[in-house]
Amino acid sequence: MENLEAKFAGLLHWERRKRREQTLLAVSCYAAALAIILSPFDIYLPNPWLRWLAPVALFFSLAPWFLHRARWRLGDSARALVKLDKTLGLEERAVTAWELSTRKETQGAALLVLHQAEERLRSLEPRAVSPRRWNWPAYAALPLLALWFMLLWFDFDRGDEQARYGGPPTLAHRLREYSRELQEKAKNEGLRETLNLSRELEKTAQKNIEAKSADESVKKELAGAAGKFAAAAQSSAEKSSFSNGASEQSLKDLKAEIEATRDLLQLPEPAQANQETGQRWMERLAAMPQLKRQFENSEGGGQGLGQKELKSFLDKLEQQVTGELDRRSLIDAQQYLEQLMKQGQGAKGENYARSGAPGEQDPSAEGAREKNPNSLPGKEPGKQDQDSGSLSELRPGASTQVKGLLGEGESSALDFKGKPTAGKSAVPQAEITASYRRQAEQELNSERVPDALKETIRNYFLSLGEVKSK
Amino acid sequence: MQSVEEIEQRIVNARRTFDGLRAEMARMIVGHEELIEQVFIALVCGGHCLLEGVPGLGKTLMVRSLGETLSLSFSRIQFTPDLMPADITGTNMLTDDPSGRKIFEFQRGPLFAHIVLADEINRATPKTQSALLEAMQEQSVTVGGKMHRLENPFMVLATQNPIEMEGTYPLPEAQVDRFFFKLLLQFPSRAELARIADLTTAAPPSALREVLDAPGILQMRQWVREVPLADVVKDYAVRLVLSTHPQLKQANGSGGLAQRFVMYGSSPRGLQSLILAAKGRALLAGRPNVSFDDIRSLLLPSLRHRLILNLEADAEGVNAEKILSEVAEQVPEVE
Repeated sequence: MENLEAKFAGLLHWERRKRREQTLLAVSCYAAALAIILSPFDIYLPNPWLRWLAPVALFFSLAPWFLHRARWRLGDSARALVKLDKTLGLEERAVTAWELSTRKETQGAALLVLHQAEERLRSLEPRAVSPRRWNWPAYAALPLLALWFMLLWFDFDRGDEQARYGGPPTLAHRLREYSRELQEKAKNEGLRETLNLSRELEKTAQKNIEAKSADESVKKELAGAAGKFAAAAQSSAEKSSFSNGASEQSLKDLKAEIEATRDLLQLPEPAQANQETGQRWMERLAAMPQLKRQFENSEGGGQGLGQKELKSFLDKLEQQVTGELDRRSLIDAQQYLEQLMKQGQGAKGENYARSGAPGEQDPSAEGAREKNPNSLPGKEPGKQDQDSGSLSELRPGASTQVKGLLGEGESSALDFKGKPTAGKSAVPQAEITASYRRQAEQELNSERVPDALKETIRNYFLSLGEVKSK
Repeated sequence: MQSVEEIEQRIVNARRTFDGLRAEMARMIVGHEELIEQVFIALVCGGHCLLEGVPGLGKTLMVRSLGETLSLSFSRIQFTPDLMPADITGTNMLTDDPSGRKIFEFQRGPLFAHIVLADEINRATPKTQSALLEAMQEQSVTVGGKMHRLENPFMVLATQNPIEMEGTYPLPEAQVDRFFFKLLLQFPSRAELARIADLTTAAPPSALREVLDAPGILQMRQWVREVPLADVVKDYAVRLVLSTHPQLKQANGSGGLAQRFVMYGSSPRGLQSLILAAKGRALLAGRPNVSFDDIRSLLLPSLRHRLILNLEADAEGVNAEKILSEVAEQVPEVE
């Protein structure tokens, strides 16, 4: 009798264990499936690494409910014993004996049932009689977990990590952003060397992003890239005829003036005026201070130049200007890369924290360049802007314009009222005229100005300089 | 307190007795093995059987043979429309006592036998049919204010013809419910028919051997009630019975035919019959406990006459057997 009860206890213990295993496997399966389904919401986790704990968290959340739902009941014991009867062909002797033993009935035919059950179950091995049978959740759990792991491993759930997470961008990401900006600038300004090297730089950054390289290894590659930029800048410097004293703004002005002059050269000239071309150019050049300075520095002061010679001169000059801008852009990039290399993790986090919420600003625009705005593309390397940093106290004659780039998002403005100070303007008229002319050229190149009026407008702005010179 | 060996021996004896009975009956009756087993189960359970079959299938012969092999007294009552209750129960007759005084003496009717064959019971009037009620339920008859005990064991085997309905009186539900089993006699197969021809047209077989007597049957009746029944098996029987009730469909999970064609399901007597019969079957099978198979195999004879079908069932030609078969398929052994 005791032996029979022990057999029943062993069998029921085994069945309970199987039930628990199956339940937990089912929970694993559901947890993995839920983790996959919920992976797009990983971005709302406070820390990105928490997403690796998602299945575990789901498992522990679901398991109590599943275990409660699949708890072992008295009917389950009866069911298990009926199943045993069916398996062994005992014609319900086992379940009857189990009930009789729990009721402690040991009289009459009950005794015979217990006796027969004990005899037939003497060699009962629960694991052999009722082996584990895996259902579909058991088969699906591992593949689902593997799928979830692969999705996370290949960052399927994250897309652009920087844009979606509040965490600091990696060095490779920042490098890629910078290289793209540099490419954009180089394309706009026709900086060939800068364009080539920035493309290489982007490839390097992309490679490191895909390989998930650590910042330290990226820094090593940055050193090589900075060297390339330095070498290219050195090579350009040897060919350049401009002094370092020329500002980048003046170079850009010069380039704009060259463009304007080219347009003038394409205008039809009266036949009788051919002989007076040199004189006329000199008059018009009065409105183009940068170009005029170059003419004056050239051999013969640009006197007696025909149209072809003038074109040739402008081509050469433009090439030199572009080369100089290219060189400065290369130096700018080199310095930025060197600063990136020097930066530590703490600085990165600090910089990124200041960048605000994701999406409001491009985080890659921050970082080293924020520390040194002169390293931004287009800024003259090594030269500090006076208006950078905190706003200085307003004083008569000082500029009341806050410099900066207008980007997307909210903006604010400050209006200052003050008495005008008598005296001479600090900005020379020639610069203002040149500035207007550049703006006019830009507008003329756009579609907003009808073609028929372009020439009239151009002549008007050119006439401004002529009037002054007269 | 009996030992395991003694209990085992008595179960073996019951099995042997039944095997002997079956062998003896087979000498006289061709086929109908299952029917004979069910009649014997009803006998050891103290129940009565309603046999339904066309004439000439051996109903009377089977009952007579059963009486011979069991060494029990046997009487046959041919029910006719003019049969009166007193004709079957007996009546008080005016007679002279030894001193010459006129006295009423009870003359026992044909009910006073161990096995009573009520042939074509549906031909008698309801009044006469009702006379069987007390005999079947109480195992006694009351005549002239005096109760007379019937033989023990007492068993009524009633027959009815399902095709000749002209001039018949269908049994009232209350009386039908008192039959432990309703058994259907099927027409014999080709081989069985040939064997019947051989058996009945040759020299009659020798007299049947007695395999069991009245005290033996009473002893077996006691054993039957001692057969253990697991709760899970009992619950199965309960759910089967509940499944025949259309109004309890939600509770027992059955549907389909029972829901559509049954007007009233089985009475609690149906459950009693089913479980007791299952115990009897287990005993005759030499098994000390009831199995699901016992319950399932006796579902039809125990419940088929206890279902009251609606007119739609008649129109659709659906009978109780079809409904019960579906119930047996639908109800799971363990819930």
